[in-house]
Amino acid sequence: MKLLNSEILSNQQYGPGIFKMELFSPYIVRNVMAGQFVNIRCAPNDGTDPLLRRPFSVFDIEERFNVFSVLYMVKGKGTGYMSSLRKGDTVDLAGPMGSGIDLNTGSKDILLIGGGMGIAPLNLIAKMALARGKNVFIMAGFRDSSLLRWERDLVRMEVKYRIFSEDGKWGEKGLVSEYIFEGDRFYKKHEIYVCGPVEMLKIIQEKLGRYQISATALLEEKMACGIGVCMGCVVKIRGKNGSFSYKRVCREGPAFELSEVVFE
Amino acid sequence: MNDIIRPSLKVQLGKIKFKNPVITCSGTFSHGEEHMVFYDIGKLGAVTTKSYSLLPMKGNPPPRICETASGVLNSIGLQNDGIDSFIYRHLPWMKGAGASIILSIFGRTTEEFKKIALRILDIKSEILAVELNLSCPNLEQGGKAFCAVPEEVKRVVDSVVSMLDIPVIVKLSPDFETIDRSAELARQSGAEAISIINTVVGMAVDIDTAKPLLGNVTGGLSGPAVKPIALARVYQLCQQDILPVIAMGGVFGYRDLLEFLIVGARAVGIGTANFVQYDIGERILNDLTAYLREKKIDDVNKIIGRLKVEKKQA
Ligand SMILES: Cc1cc2nc3c(=O)[nH]c(=O)nc-3n(C[C@H](O)[C@H](O)[C@H](O)COP(=O)(O)OP(=O)(O)OC[C@H]3O[C@@H](n4cnc5c(N)ncnc54)[C@H](O)[C@@H]3O)c2cc1C
Ligand SMILES: Cc1cc2nc3c(=O)[nH]c(=O)nc-3n(C[C@H](O)[C@H](O)[C@H](O)COP(=O)(O)O)c2cc1C
Ligand code: FES
Repeated sequence: MKLLNSEILSNQQYGPGIFKMELFSPYIVRNVMAGQFVNIRCAPNDGTDPLLRRPFSVFDIEERFNVFSVLYMVKGKGTGYMSSLRKGDTVDLAGPMGSGIDLNTGSKDILLIGGGMGIAPLNLIAKMALARGKNVFIMAGFRDSSLLRWERDLVRMEVKYRIFSEDGKWGEKGLVSEYIFEGDRFYKKHEIYVCGPVEMLKIIQEKLGRYQISATALLEEKMACGIGVCMGCVVKIRGKNGSFSYKRVCREGPAFELSEVVFE
Repeated sequence: MNDIIRPSLKVQLGKIKFKNPVITCSGTFSHGEEHMVFYDIGKLGAVTTKSYSLLPMKGNPPPRICETASGVLNSIGLQNDGIDSFIYRHLPWMKGAGASIILSIFGRTTEEFKKIALRILDIKSEILAVELNLSCPNLEQGGKAFCAVPEEVKRVVDSVVSMLDIPVIVKLSPDFETIDRSAELARQSGAEAISIINTVVGMAVDIDTAKPLLGNVTGGLSGPAVKPIALARVYQLCQQDILPVIAMGGVFGYRDLLEFLIVGARAVGIGTANFVQYDIGERILNDLTAYLREKKIDDVNKIIGRLKVEKKQA
């Protein structure tokens, strides 16, 4: 993990209210593991509003060019500021952060289940798993077609996928959570990664739980430091005999065993 | 030959000696392991540990963080692994890293403070001072903060000082008009210095759901937003000249640190800034040295308490 100033190579609209920022950083490209994030300062120089860094999953890396990218949705001040930056500007960021996912071991078959912006970390998992010769299957659900452009990235990656949208205008109509157990297909031998809104995670937790299928969820929580010192970004994790503990998304996470997460 | 000034940065607060006035605040730096990646924490005047209780505490339900204008609200709820985890796990690491250590502790009753003091008897030679976080709830006073009631401050300080022959620092909240009285009673009981400010009670609401944005409803505000409050509190306390003051609240650069020194603080803590600029401790130290050189000031103590107040007639 390092503090870095990275040059923006492009910062283009990807969909309505969604941007992809490409940054030059040999250090991040060389060190990032699947599931990790970078923490971006979203105020100019010594600005104090917004004050805290904002976490973003690494969406993609281009090893040949030492470039990595983040895919972000404009939500408030921080992401608004990011969307105003231009090619050639520099960004103050730190990373890679969080516990990475080791894709060198584990099952040869990977199932990725994404909802909305939750596809951001899954994209890098897919790319890294494919590079290790794994079979990757993506199921992703969206409210509308805002992220339509992602399908081009999937095609380029030569990965198998199914897309669902609530309005049916992109891919199949419906919710991705309704289709994970279509027919008699079970994903018992797959290593499953899930990322998306809490409502979706809850349904998938319940469905997989019925068949005692384990999965890894990538979680989000408000962060102050991103490096593990403030105890601000905790989620409730089930322990043995009805106990629980609070674990940090920025350190022990963002990846957690889905069945152990207590959603409240 | 040009005569480059090597300014002396040493400061002293009662019996406590710091190699420089730049320290880190409790709860914002853990023990320094994470920040050691960014700079040598052994350079700091001191590292204040997170606040430890007798037994592990789970802390408050999330969300625990909410950003407000130039500030951060937190409701961490003092999550920690208990004093034994400090003694056996973190202390050896901190010593190895060459950190000057202020150990922050808190209890829910005076009795708990005593029990922690008993536990740290054996390590007292390895720490610079103990800081009593007296902004935490006092179960014997219906959950009111210890520092809301100066006599309670006295009770805790009396019992800790009688057990430990190492310097005791009392950390106070800015939320009560009892600061001077608490400081005076702390002095009478043998405390060495006062740390102010802890966070300021605050709140934020989500207008769409009409719910509070913190899991614990209210929380503590920190960061640049609280600096003027902290400065006024430090100024007022320094005017009384009761005990030496360690100041904190919204320090994000060396200029903030200088303001606190000018109003009379002898050491200054960096808190929330550790979350944003991970190398802030080293930066402030370097910038302070550069500033003193540029101004040809050979001793940082010459800045402390230099405030010039000209009372104008109405
Ligand atoms: C590990 C991690 C990875 C993330 N990866 C991505 C990503 O790849 N792409 C992306 O678009 N977003 C991602 N997020 C969410 C992103 O950090 C927030 O959307 C961003 O911080 C909002 O900042 P803002 O100043 O624009 O909004 P604010 O004005 O701060 O808030 C606007 C809204 O965003 C929500 N928000 C603020 N901070 C966070 C946070 N840390 N996590 C979740 N929601 C938050 C607030 O609750 C609020 O509803 C990630 C979050 C985490 C914790
Ligand atoms: C996330 C967080 C956790 C904190 N935890 C503690 C603590 O455990 N004990 C304590 O005495 N103060 C604690 N504080 C208060 C700080 O030590 C400091 O007094 C306060 O934040 C003001 O300084 P700042 O504005 O530079 O952060 C905490 C502050 C924050 C933001
Ligand atoms: S954000 Fe501070 S511990 Fe995770």
